[in-house]
Amino acid sequence: MTVLDVKNLKKSFGTIHAVQDISFSVKAGEVFTIIGPNGAGKTTTLEMIEGLVPPDVGEIRFGEFNWDKHAKTIKQKIGVQPQSSAMFDLLTPEENLNLFATFYDKARPTEEILKLINLTDHRNNHVKKLSGGQRQRLAIGLAMISDPEIIFLDEPTTGLDPQARRNIWDIILQLKKLGKTTILTTHYMEEAEKLSDRVCIVDQGRIVTLDTPSALIEKLTEEREVRLSFINGAEAAEEANLYSNNLSSVTRTEREEASLILWSTDPENTLYNLFGYTKEKNYQVEQVSIREMSLEDVFIAFTGKEWRD
Amino acid sequence: MKHFKQFKQMFAAQLKLTFREKQAWFWGIFFPVILMSIFMVIFSGSSDNEFSAKVAIVNENPNPTSEMLLQQLTSIPVLEIESGDTVSREKADELVKDQEVHAAIVLPESADDTSIFFIVNKENEQGVTTQALSGMLNNFVQQANLYAVGAVPTYELHFESITSSSNQLSYTDFLLTGMIALAIAQGGMFGMVDLVEMRRKGLIKRLRMTPANMNIFGLSDMIMRLLFSVIQIILLTIIGVFLFGANVYINFPSLLVVFLLGALSFNALGYFFSSFSKTSEAYMGVANIASFLMMFLSGIFFPIETMPEWIQPLSNILPLTYFVEGLRESMVYSTSIFSTGIWIAIGIMLLWGAVAFIIGSWLYKRKSIVATR
Ligand SMILES: Nc1ncnc2c1ncn2[C@@H]1O[C@H](COP(=O)(O)OP(=O)(O)OP(=O)(O)O)[C@@H](O)[C@H]1O
Ligand SMILES: [Mg+2]
Repeated sequence: MTVLDVKNLKKSFGTIHAVQDISFSVKAGEVFTIIGPNGAGKTTTLEMIEGLVPPDVGEIRFGEFNWDKHAKTIKQKIGVQPQSSAMFDLLTPEENLNLFATFYDKARPTEEILKLINLTDHRNNHVKKLSGGQRQRLAIGLAMISDPEIIFLDEPTTGLDPQARRNIWDIILQLKKLGKTTILTTHYMEEAEKLSDRVCIVDQGRIVTLDTPSALIEKLTEEREVRLSFINGAEAAEEANLYSNNLSSVTRTEREEASLILWSTDPENTLYNLFGYTKEKNYQVEQVSIREMSLEDVFIAFTGKEWRD
Repeated sequence: MKHFKQFKQMFAAQLKLTFREKQAWFWGIFFPVILMSIFMVIFSGSSDNEFSAKVAIVNENPNPTSEMLLQQLTSIPVLEIESGDTVSREKADELVKDQEVHAAIVLPESADDTSIFFIVNKENEQGVTTQALSGMLNNFVQQANLYAVGAVPTYELHFESITSSSNQLSYTDFLLTGMIALAIAQGGMFGMVDLVEMRRKGLIKRLRMTPANMNIFGLSDMIMRLLFSVIQIILLTIIGVFLFGANVYINFPSLLVVFLLGALSFNALGYFFSSFSKTSEAYMGVANIASFLMMFLSGIFFPIETMPEWIQPLSNILPLTYFVEGLRESMVYSTSIFSTGIWIAIGIMLLWGAVAFIIGSWLYKRKSIVATR
């Protein structure tokens, strides 16, 4: 069942075309990730969907509801954690949660949320005294207070330490277990791979590609990176380099000191041949690796650009 | 019912926010109290016997008239007579010049002479004491005239009204009502900085993502502000009355109306400032200018009449002028709510509030809060 339909969204701020043409739909219970570099238009896209920014062009539907006619209903159904988490700094986490709870028709118990976001110990401190990560967790808690069916998280893990990031992953996976739909943005490929059912890569306001993480990576497996390092030194590596260049499955090679890096469309066969050669020459190979493909490669492959976090 | 629950929670939150905001207490409560106390200590006394003026009396040719006047003058308690006796004209001039005495009074030269001279130092010409003295003397002379003619038997009665001159008492009342008006006006004009801060931090945007009823939020905020102003009124009045002996004769319906509409009008001014200020610094700049201008031109510390003529028209358009006037009418003169004077004051003040609110709302709509990230 589709819970969210987005069609041909466009938004410009003056001469900046923040979102150029974005369409996707999200199914119930899915974790849908939008990933892309700074300024790609992720936040703008989310804000249009959240009803904060009217799109220049395009259509947004939550099942049978749309913003023009059913703003109140939609606001009851969604929970939002904005990128810049704003809350009442002079209130405590508990007071913030209680206050937000009154805005909605139904709400989860504050106690439960505090436990979920692991802030029970800090429930009575003023928000302005919380650390960045604690604040972020509270922002996520505020998005969940109404027990929403669809939850929007705009970079929930940016600026968090690895431990806190894992905590948030746990929260997201828990929401998934409860059958909630999550739409999140991130800069971390690893996060997108781990959490999402489907990933949408955006760049410069457009969708570069959209699929499940494994399918995206599959698309790239034509060519794999293989690394070998030789105990016998640079000379041995250079000879192996010359040899492998003659193999038909190898598309490209590079040598760094005693290491050889090659890209092969058939890594298994390439290695078989290469090891036959080194055995013959009596060279000893110290390390061998076939690099796993990641979403980062997907991004590079689709945009031709280097990925930076 | 749902609305009421929301209101209750929002109001509780506002209460906590205000209570925890130390700045609000400092500027809203502590500062006006200190300022009022300083002014009251400087410009009046803590008891009514402290107001006194030192004068020298010249009686070079004692005659029946001068003797009679002298006797009456010495019986005025607030007049302290230099060296306890009359002095020569030269000596009197010298005393005035050196500011040893506040004024010299020259009694008639002969029984037929009808002029009494009142000599003051040029520097003190416009001073409060001089005004008070000349007023007293004027009254005194008038009464003496009547007495001389033998026409009015109420001499004693009028004389009493002179000696028990309540000049500094009414200044205390004047200052008390002025400070209350100033505190409430500043609360309104400065207080809306919260709105700028909330907008800057994205809190307004955050609330708009929820189904929260922003009207209820605004209402709870407004009621919190009014409550804060009630605390200001009560505290300042208690201090003014019990510490400095101010007299208040409150007409409660008038006070309620003037207070409510005044507080709303000045909050509307603050709202207007917030609608075009991007940062809280910008807002504070505007609020400071407005508040400074009004503080000195609206008759808070000194009556408008004592200011230069050319500046008075400006005073007569400022809203604080009318707010303080309304407060004085309702707190000191006990003016009824049905008097026209009070409604003219309220009307002009309200006009300011209404215009500020309309322009503010229009500006807010025009550049939609959302646009500011
Ligand atoms: N209110 C606005 N006014 C003007 N330009 C804006 C506004 N909001 C966004 N932009 C511009 O639109 C582009 C997309 O911004 P957006 O915040 O959507 O990117 P993002 O993908 O969320 O980036 P980040 O990863 O840094 O959060 C940027 O170039 C940004 O400068
Ligand atoms: Mg963003």
